[in-house]
Amino acid sequence: MTDDEALAEQAAEWIVQLTADDVAERARAREGFEAWKRADPRHGEVAASLENVVQGLQGVRTRAGGSYRPARAALDAAAAGRAGRGKVKRAVVALAVVCGLALPFWLVLTGCPPAVLLADLRAGGGEWPVRTLADGSRVAFNGAGAVNLYYDARRRVVELLQGEILVDVARDAARPFVVETAHGSIRALGTRFVVRRDDDATTLTMLESTVSVRSAAAPDAVTLVSAGQRLRLAAGGLGPLAPIDARSVADAWRQRSMVVEDRPLPEVLDELARHRPGLIEYDRASLQGVRVSAVLPLDDTDRALQLLRTSFPGLRVRTWTRYLVLVDRP
Amino acid sequence: MAPMPAVESAMQQQMHTLYSDHHGWLYGWLRKRLGCSHNAADVAHDTFVRIIASRDALIGPVPVMDEPRAYLATTANRLLVDRARRQSIERAYLAELALAAESEAGHPSAEDTLAALQALEQISVALDGVSARAREAFMLHYLDEQTHAAIADRLGVSSRMVRKYLVQCLLQCRAGASGCPAWTGGGR
Repeated sequence: MTDDEALAEQAAEWIVQLTADDVAERARAREGFEAWKRADPRHGEVAASLENVVQGLQGVRTRAGGSYRPARAALDAAAAGRAGRGKVKRAVVALAVVCGLALPFWLVLTGCPPAVLLADLRAGGGEWPVRTLADGSRVAFNGAGAVNLYYDARRRVVELLQGEILVDVARDAARPFVVETAHGSIRALGTRFVVRRDDDATTLTMLESTVSVRSAAAPDAVTLVSAGQRLRLAAGGLGPLAPIDARSVADAWRQRSMVVEDRPLPEVLDELARHRPGLIEYDRASLQGVRVSAVLPLDDTDRALQLLRTSFPGLRVRTWTRYLVLVDRP
Repeated sequence: MAPMPAVESAMQQQMHTLYSDHHGWLYGWLRKRLGCSHNAADVAHDTFVRIIASRDALIGPVPVMDEPRAYLATTANRLLVDRARRQSIERAYLAELALAAESEAGHPSAEDTLAALQALEQISVALDGVSARAREAFMLHYLDEQTHAAIADRLGVSSRMVRKYLVQCLLQCRAGASGCPAWTGGGR
């Protein structure tokens, strides 16, 4: 037995005595345990790790409103599963039965191809990391996203696999900076812009200066996009240039909020879902007619959902776990 | 353009190779076992996630290249066990919670529920290593708050034995909790 194990055993014995049936024994144990902890700094550490265990159990009770039953039921269910005919067989049966059901914990990671998991830079939902690249350029993520970096002597290439990034390009006349997606490429020398990658299209929003864009569908044609303009790159080619308010886009990024003007509720829920670790489930058809105009916080999606509920009294928002929110109109 | 990932290129190459050589095999293997292509895809995917995560934790190359398929199969098997466990814990907990909510006012927050589920999963894993009796004594004392004597009576053992059980379970939980940040004590 190692030193640590021997100490842990002593501490565990003290802790058990702390809740003995006899009042006098409990009192003696309190004093004895305190003295034992003071005897050596290592004793204190080991004691704390075991006290955490007991506190964790108390926490489980507290979190179920003071009742031990839910915790008890859960642990019994897990143990019953283990006692079944072999662990894996049991697991296999359970998995086969629920096939196709949208279980919250299962789906958190799905829809995430290996390329995204292996990306050079990644951000999760609810994260807003800003990364400074080797040349001083900065890439800020807006929620879940992933990029690959390909830097060499002639070019600086950022491949956007997923999500939305704000790029602050450091000037380097000799090495163009290129953001690439499946839908096309965006080439800059030094500027600031936002690129968002969805499944069916890439959207470029220019905040400063100008970039040149090539569509994957027609790589020979070059389109210039300037500050205050937005362009959609889809599989079929480029959309029309649309005007946007560059300042409000930049503000929204800074404040981690989303400015929505007359958009269908499902789109807004999709956007909120990008900023949560779990799922927002809803019936697209029944909510399509609800139009939303609002400023919603993206770093506190619970509050954003609350705001939506307040604005639309007919809306029902049910939180099952942090990982599953159901939205409908009963 | 010559691709030259700036970060961890060797490890990434290794993961790419592992993925491209064996993902198809793993998926097929899982589909045969599960009889369901959706779940097979999920589990195959999560298997690689887990390997990548463990690689991140160790900050070293993955020790899988000698027997990659055996390693993948073992990892996938562990995932299946964990998932079944998580699922039965979640189901039983939420069902019991829903019952309690009908009779009492108030409902725990989503955060509380998630934290409780995580803690329960860890406790459950830790208690795999002890006998059914020891586990029962531990739950009766720390969850149901029964006295040592009452537990001894119920299990038909001595009070001394009950203490031994409790010590044993506390040590198991401590060992299981080390290095697991989700296990943090205290309710609010």
